[in-house]
Amino acid sequence: MYRKQVRRRRAVLVGLLVVSLILVSISFSEAESGPLHSIQRGVSTVLSPIEEGASRALKPGRDLVNWFDETFDARGENDALQDEIAELRSELADAQSAQAENEQFRKMLDLGEADAALAGYKRVTGRVIGRSPTVWYSTVTIDVGSGSGVGVNDPVITGDGLVGRITDTTKGSSQVTLITDHRSAVSASILPDGPDGVVEPEVGDPDDLLLDFIDSDEEVKEGQLLVTAGWSTGRVSSAYPYGIEIGRVSEATIGEQETFQQIHVEPFAKLRDIDFVQVLTGGEERPGVPK
Amino acid sequence: MIITPRIALRLALIIAIAVVLQLSFFSLLSVLGVTPDLLSVVIGSLGLLVGAVAGAVCGFAAGFLLDSALLQTLGVSSMVLLSVGYLAGRYREGFEITNSLVAPLLAAGLTALGAAAFSAIQLMLGVETQVSLLVLREILLKGLIAFVLAVPAYPLLRRVLRPALVDDSPARRRILSAARLRSRARRRGGSSHLRGGAPARRVRGVAS
Repeated sequence: MYRKQVRRRRAVLVGLLVVSLILVSISFSEAESGPLHSIQRGVSTVLSPIEEGASRALKPGRDLVNWFDETFDARGENDALQDEIAELRSELADAQSAQAENEQFRKMLDLGEADAALAGYKRVTGRVIGRSPTVWYSTVTIDVGSGSGVGVNDPVITGDGLVGRITDTTKGSSQVTLITDHRSAVSASILPDGPDGVVEPEVGDPDDLLLDFIDSDEEVKEGQLLVTAGWSTGRVSSAYPYGIEIGRVSEATIGEQETFQQIHVEPFAKLRDIDFVQVLTGGEERPGVPK
Repeated sequence: MIITPRIALRLALIIAIAVVLQLSFFSLLSVLGVTPDLLSVVIGSLGLLVGAVAGAVCGFAAGFLLDSALLQTLGVSSMVLLSVGYLAGRYREGFEITNSLVAPLLAAGLTALGAAAFSAIQLMLGVETQVSLLVLREILLKGLIAFVLAVPAYPLLRRVLRPALVDDSPARRRILSAARLRSRARRRGGSSHLRGGAPARRVRGVAS
């Protein structure tokens, strides 16, 4: 009797492990329109309204817990911010005069008041209703989907900067793959006229990105800003339009006999605690980017 | 453990609620820079309460729901969580839970193990970026937070599943109370002829 129980127990374990392995391999090899992905989307469609309701109902509790955590962090950040304020005050005066000049040039070129970089895009605001619990998948689920005009590969931003792009949609929800996900790579330009590279994440550290493919003879300084490069060769192009702010260079080091520099970037968007995002839908067609 | 339709329904509800809470609440929290892992705690606790087979099935179902809701690679979370449920169940089948700290400690250990297994699977599946040493910190802190979460979660789940638990069945309670009476009698009089579950009245008579 006992042996029979043991055999049954082992059979269940092995059976479930085999099913899991089959799911992993099918999930990788199957096309987006395959039956397994359809089941997945079906489950997601059913769960997303429940997630949305739970997310709204539990927000006060979430804010309370996060408040405690942020208070601890804020103590450390305070000193650094004091230094930054002093630096920014001196930069403000320069920036104001530059802005006045910029407005004059815009009028001359008849570009209007709209944000030039994102002109032509429609912004769809979505609330974050779910999030992956591990550092290995930096994805969030938002409550707007194909029903609101959101499509795969649409860029996603917050008021602070780039967040990621849409990688899957259902009618009422979408999956956003953040720029800190290990599958993410964003082509970026260093401002004002710096070189272009590729921003990649460092798994385990959501507050740090790495800018790769910058030659060691290029001069990159701490504090320089990064925006999306938005390149296009005519047949292939980046999924992101030019000019979306990504982050600031926090450290640039050149290793001995290294071809490329090791550049760390601090993202502007607080990717750990985003509540709302904007999806940039429509816009100019980007060749080679599937919709 | 006998899984009746009512208990199966309770288990399904527990899993569904845990997945929704994980996605909509715990995954959006940052405690010491880490996301608390409620699902591992719940599956570990279920394994401890319902045994290895049911624990593994619950883990598989929870993982499937989680991966589906997040539209991520199916099977990875299932594999990790079914192992957590199975190992917790095997512990229950092999050892007695004599101390109230056993369940939280086990939940902490299994959560850390699950996080490490998840990392190993991801590395095997091919992560093309650099992996920070902070992943280790994440694994350890997740275990620590799981300990705190398991302190209320385990008794709560035990309460919900009480009708199906062998430990709490009347027969089990009768055996336990008889054993308690025997040991009390031994402490009072130390008589060696009180074997085989003597009734309380007789025990007292002999001792006095």
